[in-house]
Amino acid sequence: MESSLAMNTLLFLGVAIIMVPLARKFGLSSVIGYILGGIIIGPYVLRLTGNNVNDIMHASEFGVIMLLFLVGLELEPRKFWDMRKKIMGLGLTQMVLTISLLFVIFISVGWRVDKAVAVAMCFALSSTAIVLQTLQEKNSFKTTAGEASFSTLLFQDISVIPILAILPIIANYKAKHHDNEIQILIQKLPEWLQAGTVIIGVALLILLGRYVFVPFLRYVSKSGMTELLTASSLFLVIGVSELMIVIGLSPALGAFLAGVMLANSEFRHELEAQINPFKGLLLAVFFVSVGSTINFNIIQQDPLFIFSTVFAVVTVKFIVLYAIGKFFRIDTPQSLFYAFALSQVGEFAFVLINYASDLYLLSPELNAQLMAVTAITMCITPILLIVNDKFITPKFIKEIPEEEHDFNILDSDVSQKKIIIVGFGHFGSTVGRLLKANKMSATVLDRDSDRVKLLRSYGFKVYYGDATRIPILRAAGIEDAEILILCLDDPDDNKFIAELVREHYPGVKIFVRAKNRIDAYNYLNNGINHIYRETLGTAVDMAVDVLHEAGMRKYAARRLGQRFMAIDKASIRKLARAKDDDDIALFTTKEILQREEELLAYDNLNFDNKNWEGSSSADEEDEEESQD
Amino acid sequence: MKKTLVVFAHPYLEHSNSNVELINFYVRHQHYTLRDLYEEYPDFHIAAFRERKRLANYDRFVFQFPLIWFGMPPLLRLWIDEVFDRDWLQPGKNNPLENKEVYILITTGGKERSFSKTGTYEYTVDELISGLIVSLKVFKADIKHIKIVYEANKLSKKEIILHKKEFTELLNQ
Repeated sequence: MESSLAMNTLLFLGVAIIMVPLARKFGLSSVIGYILGGIIIGPYVLRLTGNNVNDIMHASEFGVIMLLFLVGLELEPRKFWDMRKKIMGLGLTQMVLTISLLFVIFISVGWRVDKAVAVAMCFALSSTAIVLQTLQEKNSFKTTAGEASFSTLLFQDISVIPILAILPIIANYKAKHHDNEIQILIQKLPEWLQAGTVIIGVALLILLGRYVFVPFLRYVSKSGMTELLTASSLFLVIGVSELMIVIGLSPALGAFLAGVMLANSEFRHELEAQINPFKGLLLAVFFVSVGSTINFNIIQQDPLFIFSTVFAVVTVKFIVLYAIGKFFRIDTPQSLFYAFALSQVGEFAFVLINYASDLYLLSPELNAQLMAVTAITMCITPILLIVNDKFITPKFIKEIPEEEHDFNILDSDVSQKKIIIVGFGHFGSTVGRLLKANKMSATVLDRDSDRVKLLRSYGFKVYYGDATRIPILRAAGIEDAEILILCLDDPDDNKFIAELVREHYPGVKIFVRAKNRIDAYNYLNNGINHIYRETLGTAVDMAVDVLHEAGMRKYAARRLGQRFMAIDKASIRKLARAKDDDDIALFTTKEILQREEELLAYDNLNFDNKNWEGSSSADEEDEEESQD
Repeated sequence: MKKTLVVFAHPYLEHSNSNVELINFYVRHQHYTLRDLYEEYPDFHIAAFRERKRLANYDRFVFQFPLIWFGMPPLLRLWIDEVFDRDWLQPGKNNPLENKEVYILITTGGKERSFSKTGTYEYTVDELISGLIVSLKVFKADIKHIKIVYEANKLSKKEIILHKKEFTELLNQ
């Protein structure tokens, strides 16, 4: 069946939509869903895909580039610099050990030296796409294993460049011996310059990141058009990767570095939100195409060779990674995760194997077999990880001693929670400053780019972004946030975000600024309890001072003020509940006045000492009872 | 199981290992209600009516607090001022403290011998908190035991747990 690129894409997305929810339902990683979907539409089962699967795969490798850009965004330059030893240590040992072990095995089964070296190098790489996707799904970027995996992958991505350079040298070595001179032009640059390209590229990116990207984004954001921001985000990522290709560097690495350079900028969360959907889509297509390239005919012809190779490769990689994990003093469960996660052959192998075939290092038949091996190892990884999670890791996790479970009244107060502040005007900045003064860090979102620029120059970590959009909130980390503070000027925006977050992330505690009483009723009826009326505290303070000025002792006035606040807060809850079904937002002025009148009547009732003690305490007690 | 109200006051709980350890017992047992006054009334505005109503629901009271400058913490003092009501003694009124068992647990950084007629401070701890003791007696409460943990900031976790054990055994009698 001959089909167009668009048709294929449609097929890929369709099968992903069907298979991924199925996989998730069985508790499997989405990667399995994608790959299974690919197998189903592939040439072996339904034969729906045409000849240009490789084109699609190539196009969707762009997903990996975007993934690395996003990963870079999460990593500030300082943190990246701190990781340099880990990257070198873990990455280099992994590459060297895996290549040597695989080489020895291949030689021992009688492969030619050049072939063995080439394949060992291809197979030493792991799959950035699969591992990072898994880390993201499990939310374990910040674990030791997550960091180790990431460092190793980064080193592998960098080492693709020297491998690309070494492969032709190996091929030449063979050519000399067989007097079979084939001239292949591989690199556009003379060799002495090739070493310098890395430095030139990195320097260029740092300069661009410092002096071009941020002012460019600021300029665009001033226009206030969402679609322009999408366009410029895409422009940035694609631009950087194209630039890297021109220089002769890995585009993924370039995108990663561009991400790191922007990690400190106020546009970090905005960029994340813009790029994320594209990354997700492209990666999905990429995984599906991995599934659909598995050639089952080739497997059938020589299953013993294929599966023994798969077994050998995965085992060697696993042993090497586990040993490295242990050597670098990572504890057992984390080492296991690290070793299982990186035990597959990566997507770069597809590229490298094809390249090696072009250099006549591998026969077409072996090429197809190795491709199948690569794809199979990629499919096994999610399954291995599930086995690890369910059966192996639990054995190594020691029972936490009972003392640790002890109730500790301070635990909840002192530990840093993940806090997001939306809106950093006069109100929000007061909240933020008090938190900051007490060393509570918060992620701050604001959509006034001038204010963001100003605040950043004073050292506040403020990000530009419109929080009424869920992707922005997601990029700011709403998924694992515990507290969301809404301090926007416009009550409608606050309300909109509050509803959005309650619907999608009911676990997040919302603290909201309310303009007035009517606003407060509205929030209460929507189940939000932490409401801060911007006028209440100041107005009561003023009244207390007036009481003093009128002759009352200050302490007596303050006590009355506090009592007033307590009653006022209780009464607002009561009145909100009483008129539950009305839509308070639709109140006319007259109705608002009526409500105020009711409130005054209620005050009179309550401030009569007898009534206050009797009626009100009864309600309070009701609430207490239900809480206890 | 006697329903017990624990009135706990500590202005700097985050710096007190001993009290953190000592109060975790109440939380684990259903028939104890822990009222952490400094957490509940951070602005020193005590809802007296609510507190009074609450007292009537309990069979037994525990007062636990550190000695602050040779007296009880100011918020506990204020709590007594606001909550205790002379009207309770009027005929026909319900006195929520009458014949109720009361246990008091006090922690202090000072040494035991400093709190004696001949020691550095010249007064015993009982004398220093006499305001609480006399008030309770006025309302005919039955003060069963006053336990004092001296040098509380220097104790090891094991020693604190021993003190806790001793006190909880008293309560469980």
